[in-house]
Amino acid sequence: MTHLPRIIAGAGVLALGVSLAACSADGGGAGDGDGFSIVFLASSSQNGYNQAVYEGVQNKAKELEKELGISITTKIQDGQFDANTQLSQLQNAGTTGQASGVIVVPQDGPGLAAAFPLGNDIPVVSVLNPIGPDIDKMEPQTEGVVSTVASPPSAGAERQAETVVDYCKDIDPCKIGLLAGLLNSPLDVARIAAWKDVLGAHDNIEIVGTVEGAYDRDKSLTAVSNLLQANKDINGILSNADQQTMGAQIALENAGIDPSSIFLTGGGGTTEAVKAVREGKWTNDYLNYPVSMGEAALEQLINKLRGEKVEAVVDADTLVDLPSMVTKEDLDAAPDFTGEWNG
Amino acid sequence: MTEAANTTVTRTRARRKFSAKELVIEYAVLLLLAVVLVALAILSPSFFTFGNIVNILNQNAPLVIIAAAGTFVIISGNFDLSTGAIYSVAGVVAAWLAVTTGNVALALGAAPVIGIVLGAFNGTVITRLRVHSFLATLASSMIFTTIAVLITGGSLITVTTPGFTALGRNRVGGVFIAVLVMIVVVAILWFVLSRTLFGRRVYAVGGNAEAAELSGIHVDRTRILVFVISGLAAGTAAAIGVSRIASGQPLAGAGLELSAIAAVILGGTSIYGGIGAVWRSVAGVFLIALIGNGFDLLNLNPQLKDMVTGFIILAAVGLAAAGRGKR
Repeated sequence: MTHLPRIIAGAGVLALGVSLAACSADGGGAGDGDGFSIVFLASSSQNGYNQAVYEGVQNKAKELEKELGISITTKIQDGQFDANTQLSQLQNAGTTGQASGVIVVPQDGPGLAAAFPLGNDIPVVSVLNPIGPDIDKMEPQTEGVVSTVASPPSAGAERQAETVVDYCKDIDPCKIGLLAGLLNSPLDVARIAAWKDVLGAHDNIEIVGTVEGAYDRDKSLTAVSNLLQANKDINGILSNADQQTMGAQIALENAGIDPSSIFLTGGGGTTEAVKAVREGKWTNDYLNYPVSMGEAALEQLINKLRGEKVEAVVDADTLVDLPSMVTKEDLDAAPDFTGEWNG
Repeated sequence: MTEAANTTVTRTRARRKFSAKELVIEYAVLLLLAVVLVALAILSPSFFTFGNIVNILNQNAPLVIIAAAGTFVIISGNFDLSTGAIYSVAGVVAAWLAVTTGNVALALGAAPVIGIVLGAFNGTVITRLRVHSFLATLASSMIFTTIAVLITGGSLITVTTPGFTALGRNRVGGVFIAVLVMIVVVAILWFVLSRTLFGRRVYAVGGNAEAAELSGIHVDRTRILVFVISGLAAGTAAAIGVSRIASGQPLAGAGLELSAIAAVILGGTSIYGGIGAVWRSVAGVFLIALIGNGFDLLNLNPQLKDMVTGFIILAAVGLAAAGRGKR
């Protein structure tokens, strides 16, 4: 009997958890009637970018339901930023027979290719990164992947670096710090290589340091603060992610450097980044359109499921009528654009 | 306090005469810290500057606060794997309150309060359900993280409320307010652990919980209190962190708990409980921090940073373990 209170307490905790889960369950089943059941495999469902992609998937599903008179149900699964978890989820989606098709934001594109061939022949659309060994090849590399909605990371990185070259043309030496995402990620390694290729061709540009921002404001704030200790006369910071650039901006302000007085760029097209470029604090930003990418991905998937023409590659940089590297002048010409996500 | 508990405390706090070798082992973390400091001072002219030192202190203020409180938890023979998640929840609630009420004091003041509540939840679950703290806080970290995600919807809450960034970014006499808060918190925690009856009970519970119970110490109450302290510290750190970056992020604290535990252990606090000190954890945080700072200042290949950090942790922990083996 002495265990009774503990058992009751344990049961209470369990009941609370189950109740909370039940309250939030959408109750949707998969593949009912003549409709399509789409599984969206997020690299992390707790991440703003992935949520924006899923928002696009849901938006397009509603639109196509009305337009085509069919039922489209969508379900999101959380990859927890873990390649193995996502691999299992893709394999499960391909064998249970409950999914008509899959849209995935790969955590590890090369690694995810191991899930193919899937148990059932269902189409897969990849968003942001391709699935397969070549992270710069957007054409489907794996049988089963029908479309990729993305743009090559190296090409985007080169475009970013070219804007640095342009900024530095009358500055010698032009001291640039590289603020990279994850130094153990193939995607970011490719970006850094592309940056260095472009910048290295110009003698007036001096790379004063390469630091890791890990897609995190606080980590980037720390890294750039350290970088500035040894390089107070820095001319610019080249970052591949807006979250990192926000951290860099705080570090510059802490060091008494006006962010608008140096070259500052990011990547992602977040609402905050768009605002910073509009205000002239950042020189430019490499835009991303996750909601539009989600919409495009679902459109291609439904096309495939309905036997219609599918675009094997949807260039993510062309989904919105703005240049991919956007400046204040570009944004002034598009006053209604605020960015598609915040993260 | 009775004889058995006193024995434990006496064992941990007694002043012993050390040989030179024992001294090196006892203060391995300080020795390594000194070696890294001297090396960086020689290698980088930017290292030993007021700006850089303040910079390092400021960057690590939240982690120091969490690690200092985490020392209580580990000395008491427990683990708190939820501090990162508490940091996240407290941070997003502070950001949300700032945006919705515009009251900066209320928003930032709420973060430590949330830390206390979640810490008390941990302590209560551990003592009432008799669940090991490792598992209980692993589970609670998942619950807390989900709460943070639900509050923000997985995105971030940007705060533009005037005055919100003062705690994280403003300075007094050239020193960041966050650094001053860190110094005050560490001083209080050092005093509580090393100079009060409660501190002695923490050592006693970690050294031998059964003996402590038999000595009349309320073991459960002590355990709950160390988790409350840990939660309070995580909440306080969150207030600094969210103020610094002016945004509430649901995964802002991810990994912070492991960094804090690593720093505590690196400092020489025993993973088995009963032995340790707040200053050791502070030294542990700064030893790891200096490596990161040095890599950035010297523009070394950042891909090697984790390897160097790993070797230094192994060296410090190995020395500390060798020291304990001799006693």
